[in-house]
Amino acid sequence: MGKLRFIAALWAAKLCRPLLRLLGRNATNFPGEVALRICPDFLGQIGKPGRIVAVTGTNGKTTVCNIIVSVLERSGIRPLCNREGGNIASGISAALAQGASLTGKTKYDVGVLEVDERSALRIFRYIEPELLVITNLTRDSVMRNAHPAYIADILTSAIPKKTKLILNGDDLITVGVAPENPRAYFAIDSLPGDTVELRNRIDDLRVCPRCAGELKYVYRRYHHIGKAVCAVCGYTNPEPDYLGTDADPENRRITVRERDGDWSCRLLSDSTFNIYNIVTVAAALREFGLARDVIAAALEKTELPSSRFHAAEGGGVTAVMQMAKDKNAFAISRVFDYLSGLPGKKEIIMMNSCIEDHVHGSENVCWMYDCDFEFLNTEEITRIVVTGPRYRDFYMRLLMAGVPEERLRQTPKELDAPKELALAEGEDVYILYGTAGIELAEKVQAATLREAESRRSQA
Amino acid sequence: MRIELLFPDACYLGGDTANFEYLCRALPEAETVRTGIRQRPAFMDGDVDMILLGSMTERAQVLARDALAPCLDRIRSLIDGGTVFLVTGNAIEVFGQYIGDEDGTRTGMLGLFGYHAERRMMARHNSLYLGELDGKKIVGFKSQFGHCYGSTEAPLFRTLRGVGLNPDTEGEGVLRNNFMATYLLGPLLIMSPPFMRYVLELLGRPDAPVPFEAAALAAYEQRIGEFENPRVRMID
Repeated sequence: MGKLRFIAALWAAKLCRPLLRLLGRNATNFPGEVALRICPDFLGQIGKPGRIVAVTGTNGKTTVCNIIVSVLERSGIRPLCNREGGNIASGISAALAQGASLTGKTKYDVGVLEVDERSALRIFRYIEPELLVITNLTRDSVMRNAHPAYIADILTSAIPKKTKLILNGDDLITVGVAPENPRAYFAIDSLPGDTVELRNRIDDLRVCPRCAGELKYVYRRYHHIGKAVCAVCGYTNPEPDYLGTDADPENRRITVRERDGDWSCRLLSDSTFNIYNIVTVAAALREFGLARDVIAAALEKTELPSSRFHAAEGGGVTAVMQMAKDKNAFAISRVFDYLSGLPGKKEIIMMNSCIEDHVHGSENVCWMYDCDFEFLNTEEITRIVVTGPRYRDFYMRLLMAGVPEERLRQTPKELDAPKELALAEGEDVYILYGTAGIELAEKVQAATLREAESRRSQA
Repeated sequence: MRIELLFPDACYLGGDTANFEYLCRALPEAETVRTGIRQRPAFMDGDVDMILLGSMTERAQVLARDALAPCLDRIRSLIDGGTVFLVTGNAIEVFGQYIGDEDGTRTGMLGLFGYHAERRMMARHNSLYLGELDGKKIVGFKSQFGHCYGSTEAPLFRTLRGVGLNPDTEGEGVLRNNFMATYLLGPLLIMSPPFMRYVLELLGRPDAPVPFEAAALAAYEQRIGEFENPRVRMID
């Protein structure tokens, strides 16, 4: 009966995809939902690749997964991945169903799976990755993830005992996950912007995770990411197995230092966040067994997915779509920090409300007061247009951050936002959008360029 | 005027610290104190007009309990004397009898009030809240693992829509003299300007301007409109 149920679930999941395509819709995780409804232990029964690299963590897991997949593909390995289906149990079920034969045997030797950290208990009950990358554990949606120590506890209880962990050694919350498991650490050497002082509103590690003693930071990259030492028990960051060093964001290069030698690879972006992504990828693929030169050569040809960062020019301005993951104060603070450090005058359209929350509810905006809107209080950011469902909350928050009223504009409708921009020749416009807002952001980007072109032709 | 924020190094979740910052902005002449979890609270050695404690991790609840346990008599006398307290999010649980977990363990808390919390770590409660205080509407958010049961205190808010101190109770929060505790978290005073005004009156400064009042009121009125809309789901 169990096997029949599984086969029914598998075939139903496989049928969903062409049916959805006929209806003109993307498959997403729906086939997996169907499979799990028919066969709740579908993940246990479905065939899985012999080697699985899983990636979890609060930020960067999608990008890291995409880059790992890209490098593997360029190296001649075709991995199964859950890029289309999503990172919860249904998304992974959908990907495994798609990658299996009609009897449920997998057609892949290697899998690269992005795993939602909150879903780890459900997923790792059935899937035992060979390698599990944890990018970082930071503040996320207070509604879903509460706080990073809570997520660390979930991961510790969920991760299979034999799985080797690849952990961010600059993040002492991540370092504490599943202490009995085998592990390797990656980290980034000191960077020009490092400080000792806290520049952020969020710091989830102000006291020692072991003894609650005072943590003294040797250097801080941002928030609790950096190197700290407990003044009471001496607890500190581990020595990294993969150290990103001599980072040269301008020329997009970094050296990866391993215990037996250095090698150089390309950075895909100049942001610290993406420097971490590359060092994470390097560590994961080295642990997977790829040669240094193979990884380095593949990274030369790899680009960041355009859904996260996409620039277009028109009318004398550049309009950049920049994802700012809604309700994630940490991730958005990183974006604000990055924007504030970019040279040149710029304007911002802030439309990263959580669109999904406004279908039947209202967004919990507490995150705004954990987020560093203060970074936007710089003369280089000449105008900020707040828009979307929470435009009034954005406006209030920016006032609290000290941004002068004359630099702010507000309009409820996103597509009206470009009209509120100054659009000075040579200026960049950053369109900050949330996870469900990419299509709308594309329209706003197009409208911004049209507006710029229209003003230029009238000038 | 002296305002003390307790333990910002351990109790900082959910944007609660913004209430303190808003008060600092409204009362620039006030002496403001941030007391770390290993420091002796300022209220132990002198008068304070208002004390704030915000949301925290479960581990920090134990740290906060331990830090406040030697201060219980003083806290009682401050409450009796009318000092204003604003306790937000799961900080409310620290002042109850204990926190009970699903596995039957009970973690003793300060025991200042008769209620206790029941916590379910795999069942997070998220909801929107619309209530009333002193005839004025209050809006807020809940995001928590526990609910409080057995309170014999007056509630802080009368619930209009949303969940009270627990799903079976209409009243939300705890009010004893000017001790105000609520599960609502985040920038309560910013989101509900009438609540800010109420607190300023308690502090004897009804004349103090509410910072950016027009912008705060615009967001408040929009949110009230949403929360009063019957199509808006209050519980996630």
